[in-house]
Amino acid sequence: MAVAAPPSTAAAERLDRLERMWRSRPGLLGWLTTTDHKRIGLLYFWTTLVFFGAGGVEALVMRTQLAQPNERLVGPSTYDQLFSMHGITMIFLFIIPMTTGAFGNYLIPLMIGARDMAFPRVNALSYWIFVSSGIFMYVALFMGTAPNAGWFDYVPLASRQFDPGRNIDFYCLGIIFNSLASTLTAGLFIVTILKSRAPGMSLNRLPLFCFAMFAAAIGLLFALPALSVDTIFLFLDRNVGTHFFDVAHGGTALLWQNLFWFFGHPEVYILIVPAFGIATSIIPAFTQRKMVAFPLVAVAELLVVFIGFGVWAHHMFATGLPTVALVFFAGASALVVIPSTIQVFSWLMSFVTGSARFNTPLLFIAGFIFMFVTGGLTGIMFVAVPFDQQVTDTYFVIAHFHYIIFGAAVFPIFGGMYYWFPKITGRMYFERPGQISFWTIFVGTNLLFFPMHILGLLGMTRREYTYPAGLGWGPYNLAETIGAFLTTAGILLLFGNLVASYLRGEPAGADPWHGPTLEWTTTSPPPDYNYVVIPKVTSAYPNWDAADREEDRRKLRDGVLVLEQGHEQVEVTPADGWLSEIVEMPHSSPWPPLLALSLALVFTMLLIEKFEIAGIMGILCLLTLLGWHSTEPQEA
Amino acid sequence: MTAAPLPRRSSLPAAWWGMSILIASEGMLFGCLIATYFYLRFKNPAWPPDGIPAPRLVVPLVLTACLATTSAPMQLALAAVRAGRVATARLFLVAALVVQCGYFAYEVHDFHDQLGKVDITRDAYSSIYYTLLGADHGHVFLGILFNLWLLGKLARGLTRYRANATLAITWYWHFVNVLTIVVVGTLLSARA
Repeated sequence: MAVAAPPSTAAAERLDRLERMWRSRPGLLGWLTTTDHKRIGLLYFWTTLVFFGAGGVEALVMRTQLAQPNERLVGPSTYDQLFSMHGITMIFLFIIPMTTGAFGNYLIPLMIGARDMAFPRVNALSYWIFVSSGIFMYVALFMGTAPNAGWFDYVPLASRQFDPGRNIDFYCLGIIFNSLASTLTAGLFIVTILKSRAPGMSLNRLPLFCFAMFAAAIGLLFALPALSVDTIFLFLDRNVGTHFFDVAHGGTALLWQNLFWFFGHPEVYILIVPAFGIATSIIPAFTQRKMVAFPLVAVAELLVVFIGFGVWAHHMFATGLPTVALVFFAGASALVVIPSTIQVFSWLMSFVTGSARFNTPLLFIAGFIFMFVTGGLTGIMFVAVPFDQQVTDTYFVIAHFHYIIFGAAVFPIFGGMYYWFPKITGRMYFERPGQISFWTIFVGTNLLFFPMHILGLLGMTRREYTYPAGLGWGPYNLAETIGAFLTTAGILLLFGNLVASYLRGEPAGADPWHGPTLEWTTTSPPPDYNYVVIPKVTSAYPNWDAADREEDRRKLRDGVLVLEQGHEQVEVTPADGWLSEIVEMPHSSPWPPLLALSLALVFTMLLIEKFEIAGIMGILCLLTLLGWHSTEPQEA
Repeated sequence: MTAAPLPRRSSLPAAWWGMSILIASEGMLFGCLIATYFYLRFKNPAWPPDGIPAPRLVVPLVLTACLATTSAPMQLALAAVRAGRVATARLFLVAALVVQCGYFAYEVHDFHDQLGKVDITRDAYSSIYYTLLGADHGHVFLGILFNLWLLGKLARGLTRYRANATLAITWYWHFVNVLTIVVVGTLLSARA
């Protein structure tokens, strides 16, 4: 609420105290020890972009290799590592940390009117663990021993017998390490959304973006343990000599697939639900109307994740499951259509009944709806078991999930970058290059992914490092490769636009879109303490409630919920959002990066099978935790 | 110019929710381990496989019962903290800690003993048996560390931070006790 000229000296003094209480430490040390959700969000953003670049380069190398028959740009063993790392990178090191780590971190506290996350130091820890795990896995690529059995890493291919190098050990440990970061973020989001909202924001007034993040966090929290258990089993099988997946000793290879997809399918929804959240933030701002069927959309977001836990075996239709299991999982998978369609209709109706302004963010959302529906239609086709068994492991599947993951998860990420760019930098992006970047990416991705459907039906299987001439696959593959480079050009234009806008853009002001949610009520970029007073909330569209914003200005004058006496935040009752307590928050802390570093040492020692030294490093972790908890927030 | 205090309603602190998140995550982890146990069991004709004795019945049950009783002193310690009686709380914590450490010491010894007879690398049964049991022991050990840390904190008086910690750690111990009952029950099911 841009308070340019505070109305009274009392208010000015309060502002001054707030500034001093929440000021970030300057310099590099400030970034290393920060617990500010905005800074951590930005750290996440830049880091995930680096990984996005790496995953993109891997994709381009593969596409160049496949552009024509019989090409030999890279050999089969390098190609194996490329497609494995491409999948791992895009899922674990780009989309999840981008949507939750970057967007969620930056926006959730702003949208719920909080000054920070419920556990700011845990937030920092999550980031440092994430970076360490990413470096851990990329060290493997540079050593030439990156994971090479695909991102779903099926046994027995991934067992020691068939894959004796360290490749899969890097996978197991890297994934467990990375899951720690996502679990911490998930828990943090759940508690923050339940406890740190501005008083008055009952759950039915929670922005849909936060509902989506909440659903994704629930998904992560309950899905990741299955992946951790699975990778622990594999690590034990490979390095200790257990027999979980060893058929000769009473184990079973299908156990890997069951546990993996029990994680893996909710994972797909974890990738996409935050994208729904971004869409439901952008649509009301650019149609200037409230979301159609708000409660239904909120429930649908949660329902998608819930149903996602009951459909994992549809990834295993070709493994010889009993018919009754096939029928059950086919039926459950078909159910996902219901919450998905509720959302699609709600978005479309909001377009139709509002006054849509097709600026770049909304263009990306329109593109997203198109891609999501296209990918969804092929998704429904997989529910038909006989069809699925025919196209399993062909390019048809690749086409389907790239329409979903690139089209439906990454398009809203790009749209969100444009939408919140003015809030985060205080400057407007350039509209025309923005629209050109959208059309380039839209045409590029369709050229890249659509022919994959045809190739799949023609029988091209995934993970082929090259293919002979004379099969009629060449022209489609060439079109895809051209599409890949076109998409890359569009993405480079997008980031070029954002960099140029950061340097030369017009000042944006607090609220360039007349957006509905709270983040548009504060200055751009937001101050360290986010809000001068903890805002009053009486609806799900608080920035459109002029009377409440007027009251916030009065609250500053009267000193109501300014909380300038300490580094403080409110806690509320989880459902109704009644003020419960005012709590002292931790300041910046050196312990999160130190703990992440000790954990990295533990995982490195496990990797080289020095289990005793790993134990000693574990004690180091405990000592770090002891140091972490030596200062209580009120003593800082 | 300070306004009248705002109306408030009491609710569980973020610390309790944070611990609930840990419990949910760990509960899911054990859910997967136990699911694996039964999945492997139904894939195997003999369970435990021939040559491996069925797990003992009486000792694990008695020990588990002893561990489960520590929920009572933990809860009493929490009540004492809420009433502001730190010394009483410390006393209850020490009482719980004695039983927990005794349980843990015996179990570690026993675990080692069993490994000497049937190695974890023998077959799928021994793999899941030791992994599940070991994971449970690990959670008991973590609880012991929590309690030791809490005693150290409470030695220097009471703050809201420490009261919240007591609430969270008590909640964790209730979870571990239930978890141990479920894990031991799962492992003993091989006798049936």
